[in-house]
Amino acid sequence: MSTVSSPGGRGWAGKTLLLARKDLVIEMRGRDTLPPMLVFSLAVTLLLAFTLPDTSRPGARIVLPAGTASVADVLAGFIWVTVLFAGLVGFARSFEVERREGAIDALLLVPLDRSGLYLAKAITNLMFIVAVELFLFPVFAVLFPIGLGAGVVAIALLVDIGFVAIGTLFAALAAQTRSRELMLPVLAFPVLVPVFIAAVELTSDLFLGRPTRAVVSAGWFGILLAFDLIYMVVGTLAFEFVIE
Amino acid sequence: MIALEGVRVTYRRTVALHGIDLLLLPGVTGLFGPNGSGKSTLLRVLAGLLRPDAGTVTWDGVPLDISDEGFRARVGYAGHGSGLYDRLSVRENLRLFGGLHGVGDARVEEMLGLLGLEGRGDSPAGELSAGLRRRAAVARALLHEPQLLLLDEPYANLDDDGAGSVSDAVMAWRGPGRVGLIATHGAKRVKGYADAAIILQHGRIISYRVRTPAGTPT
Repeated sequence: MSTVSSPGGRGWAGKTLLLARKDLVIEMRGRDTLPPMLVFSLAVTLLLAFTLPDTSRPGARIVLPAGTASVADVLAGFIWVTVLFAGLVGFARSFEVERREGAIDALLLVPLDRSGLYLAKAITNLMFIVAVELFLFPVFAVLFPIGLGAGVVAIALLVDIGFVAIGTLFAALAAQTRSRELMLPVLAFPVLVPVFIAAVELTSDLFLGRPTRAVVSAGWFGILLAFDLIYMVVGTLAFEFVIE
Repeated sequence: MIALEGVRVTYRRTVALHGIDLLLLPGVTGLFGPNGSGKSTLLRVLAGLLRPDAGTVTWDGVPLDISDEGFRARVGYAGHGSGLYDRLSVRENLRLFGGLHGVGDARVEEMLGLLGLEGRGDSPAGELSAGLRRRAAVARALLHEPQLLLLDEPYANLDDDGAGSVSDAVMAWRGPGRVGLIATHGAKRVKGYADAAIILQHGRIISYRVRTPAGTPT
């Protein structure tokens, strides 16, 4: 039975969803992207579980050569570094399916605004990242003393949007280079720094038990929202030039 | 009518096209030449997938622009790769591109029949032989009945039946105002129905002949 169907007369949104669905069907059949992301995030998490001497209290201080940090800061850093690297592992592969057999040429010649191509890839990447987090966060909650409330989920979604917006754009750019898996982190890391700093600061506060309302009213939340917006606009506008 | 004026393409130090001047008239034109003569480059320029370093390409007087959705809707292109997704079946691939071009499933089934792929519709594209994949690629390029058809080696790896199916599909596609350019080594297959023939060598056109109504090339 056919999984990718095509009743005629689709608009921009219909074509975009058709492309996103195509990517998900291909992933379900090939399992080329999500399993490596999950395995990577599990391996890193297990490794991190052995690095902290005492994580029983998020408010406890860890003494570092440069000063002290709370366990909550360190755990928030761990969780977002894991998401960042797992995401880049997946994003680096996201245009591989288009490169094979020259499908990208056929795709570039369909009458769909480039923003549709971009959004379709971004939707797929967002689903992969959310899947990684659905797996990773509970594992973190089991291994470390953190609470996963609605606040963490909301912050995670906002971080994911900015991450995917810029990650998808640079994945398209890196896909055109020979050393694409190396190029993607080199290109994306500097640009993603503000989003992930905000993510760590906000998540750390939530791990320390601060009320979500207080965390949301903090400056980092505004910074995160602003970068999400900027990245989405830049990604949508720049994709046409990158892909062509 | 498509006009190329002084189209020059270079890949680093290699000049692929040396200032091509060409007028493509409605009908099917065969594009012949040895490996490395610039056939694929010329097709990619006409598809808008490659910007020339110099020169202009116009279609009915309008500069060719791939960022124009209207242009993309009127072009059918099959390059060296099939342009298909390995993990989707042939039918799913055609339905996907049909959906993106606003073409219904009936047309997909028609193309499967025309290219002799009825029995292979549910086979994953990645499991097809090179010849069957070629036919599926041609079906994809013809699916939306483009006004400009660009096929790069559509007869590669095809047996006689497959080659016949491709020729039949191209002849069925032909129509008023439609321009087709078919690059191939198998000159005899295209010469049977082509309205014109171009020979490229080292990035230059060394021969351009148009068949007269009497059937003789000029």
